[in-house]
Amino acid sequence: MNAMTVTPVEQARPVARYRHFRLPGLRRFSALYLWAVFLILFGWLQFHLFLTVSTFQIVFSQSAVTAVLALAFLVPLTADTYDLSIGEMMSLTIVVINWLTLNTRLPIGVIAVIVVVGCAMIGAVSGFIVVKLRVNSLIATLGMSEVLSSFQLYISQNHQVAGSFSSLFVDVGNGKVFGIPYLDLYMIVIALVIWFVLEQTPVGRRMFAVGGNREAARLAGISANRIIWGSLIGSAAIASLAGVMYTAQVGAYTSDIGQGYLFPALAAVFFGASQLSQRPNVWGTLIAYFALAFGIQGLTLQFGAGAFWVSPLFQGVAVVGAVAIASSRGALGGGGDSRAIRRLLRSRTAEPAPQPPLQS
Amino acid sequence: MTLHLTRLTKSFGGQIALRGVDLSVGYGEVHALVGQNGSGKSTLIKVLSGYHQPDPGAGAELDGRPFQLGSAHAARAAGLRFVHQDLALVLQLSILDNMMLGRDYPVGLAGRIRGRVAAERVRGYLRQVGVETDVGLPVGSLSPAERSAVAIARALSDTGSGRMLLVLDEPTAALPSDDVRRLLGTIGRLREDGHGVLLVSHHLGEVLDIADRITVLRDGRVVASVPRGEVDQRRLAGLIVGDSATAGDAAPAHGAGQDGRHQGPQLRIRGLRGGRLTALDLDVRAGEIVGVAGITGSGRESLASLITGGMPHTGQVEVAGTSVRPGQPYRVQRAGAAGVPGERARLGMFPNLGVRQNMTVSQLDRHLRFGRIDRARERGEVSDWIERLGIVTQGPDAPIQSLSGGNQQKVLVARALRMRPKVLVLDDPTQGIDVGARAQIHEVIERCAADGIAILLISTDSDELARLADRIVILAGGRCSRILERGPAVTAKLIDVSQLEANPEPALAGLAQGAEGEK
Repeated sequence: MNAMTVTPVEQARPVARYRHFRLPGLRRFSALYLWAVFLILFGWLQFHLFLTVSTFQIVFSQSAVTAVLALAFLVPLTADTYDLSIGEMMSLTIVVINWLTLNTRLPIGVIAVIVVVGCAMIGAVSGFIVVKLRVNSLIATLGMSEVLSSFQLYISQNHQVAGSFSSLFVDVGNGKVFGIPYLDLYMIVIALVIWFVLEQTPVGRRMFAVGGNREAARLAGISANRIIWGSLIGSAAIASLAGVMYTAQVGAYTSDIGQGYLFPALAAVFFGASQLSQRPNVWGTLIAYFALAFGIQGLTLQFGAGAFWVSPLFQGVAVVGAVAIASSRGALGGGGDSRAIRRLLRSRTAEPAPQPPLQS
Repeated sequence: MTLHLTRLTKSFGGQIALRGVDLSVGYGEVHALVGQNGSGKSTLIKVLSGYHQPDPGAGAELDGRPFQLGSAHAARAAGLRFVHQDLALVLQLSILDNMMLGRDYPVGLAGRIRGRVAAERVRGYLRQVGVETDVGLPVGSLSPAERSAVAIARALSDTGSGRMLLVLDEPTAALPSDDVRRLLGTIGRLREDGHGVLLVSHHLGEVLDIADRITVLRDGRVVASVPRGEVDQRRLAGLIVGDSATAGDAAPAHGAGQDGRHQGPQLRIRGLRGGRLTALDLDVRAGEIVGVAGITGSGRESLASLITGGMPHTGQVEVAGTSVRPGQPYRVQRAGAAGVPGERARLGMFPNLGVRQNMTVSQLDRHLRFGRIDRARERGEVSDWIERLGIVTQGPDAPIQSLSGGNQQKVLVARALRMRPKVLVLDDPTQGIDVGARAQIHEVIERCAADGIAILLISTDSDELARLADRIVILAGGRCSRILERGPAVTAKLIDVSQLEANPEPALAGLAQGAEGEK
């Protein structure tokens, strides 16, 4: 009897050992696989165009700004707080910098610092609304987003605003070293700083704790309010940095910038949250973002420059798909009792209800 | 025999959770399943409910008809009903809506819900489990006891007119003792109505009270399956824990912390008011364990949140001479008080973090090096705690939800202890955990007292209070009604009785006959 019950142990072990030799998990690294699929697929379809240095340079230089914006969204999301105002925050930064170069004699460096600090203060206002007025962050930052877009309209009078920039500043936004755009280096530096704070310091640990269980975090002695407030200040400042990068690269402000950038950023963060550590994380976000960016670039080449409808379609599908993956993994929301309730609903609706006898 | 399981084996990777388990439950029978955390109880229930697939070779039949294990649908179709520990209630919805969840409402003209008819139907089932309240109340406003009853009533409503086999997974874990009695009454009634009940429980007392047959699981094996009359509590505890220890049933030599008593109190409470408490004075000196008991509604349930800061209050709370203000848990901690919160999942755990991060979250500065957490050292400390408290886990980085309830609780205890507190506030620290883990946590509490920590032990477990506390404060109606000093006369029974006697008004209907001694 004893010998018989022991045998399953021996049988089970080789399975566990065998797992070590498998490829990186399909789910935790799905973005990498997707990236590879795009490279192979479009490399095959667009043999002469896609797998070229210029494709990589185009994607990487176009993507740095949005990737930084994605990181801005990521920061409060770790504490389960949404900041939807980052898109408008970025375009407000752009219009204000342009306007200031036209209307003041301040050096561009000073202007950039003033604007980033100013945006951080706006982030503090969002934090006040979320923490003190207890408005759901989704609603608070959506409202803030509208307010910021009205600021832009007031400043720009709904016209293009093209400031005058020194050649040095233009160089800062467009230079390359060993073929790598400066902008990507800034992106890497910002990503490293955020990674360090989130993954290596007590502050980051506390942010994840608040994101996981706010009430327990409070009882464990963490000031959840301060964490959420700070994370919204952080997201505003990072979004503003993305705006500075955009201004250095492109220069002029047009009124359609903000929202167009918000969506790809969200898609990358949600997709990235299903990757690697399977919670919102820096490298997952970047990998997811670039996988999607290469897909868009490939589709654009495939359908020609006139196919401007390609990228929103692709991104819409991508964000829903990514969140579907993340939700089915339980990476976002819906734990605990809601799972039990779902189970109950499944079981109760699976069969016709017995006619309950009326008992007294 | 009606439900019949044979040779049920279940392994996860290399770990075997169940080894050739045979189990039978008949109609008109209450069959209790007991065992420590990790003994395979939960796995067995999960296989039954279709959450896990058993290893090949297992057989199951109900009423002589075999059914497929590992399928939720097959289990249901065969007639099995489950009430799990998480009750699957939507707190925002009314009792009525919860009872009708996933069911068709009786409708009238144009699809309008016929509320009165539905309510009448639902009330019939609620009466069977002894709940008599407005079915329009949100479930969130009910006591834990009533919530469990609603979940059971819902399972009843699913059976139609036939007999059912109900699996109750630790239904009493979250209940204070007086409500446990009511629930046991309900279970007895189910038996009389000819239903079969498989009851999973940690409370040996209630198991011995109600069960017709008791099956003990240890390390995934059935070590005993006996009719009620053949075992007593001591023997049962021995079977559960194995030959290693008989759960330290003897009262421990507890002369701890005598020296500290001459100093002033480490925890001093004056005129505390908030939640259900109206006025409480309380002192706990270094090395002293002060117990707090009281039935639901007496104020006992809010005391921990009031002290460790979660809840606003008036009155004075002093920790080691520092007056702390309400609503600021981190100030309370800095003053030297640590707490182990009562509802583990809701107030204690971070499901997205691992064991290590869950343990160190309250004090992250200890392993700081150049602004960064030194993970190797952090891991080292966590491993130490894992060893000291005997936490069963795959390692310091295992996901917290892979641990059993008792071991999760030990992680929270470690979180509190590693802050080297002067005052430790424990809110029902052994609620819903097994005999072995309970004994280990008791040992830790005593060690802490011996080290000079002032301990406030708030508990619904009278046996625990009798064993550990130097002084027991009985709460009733929001204030202290009686203080029992430690002595041979203070037994679990006395504590139970004083809680009931002390209470001026029974918190729940149906309790009155239990509290005859009032006035």
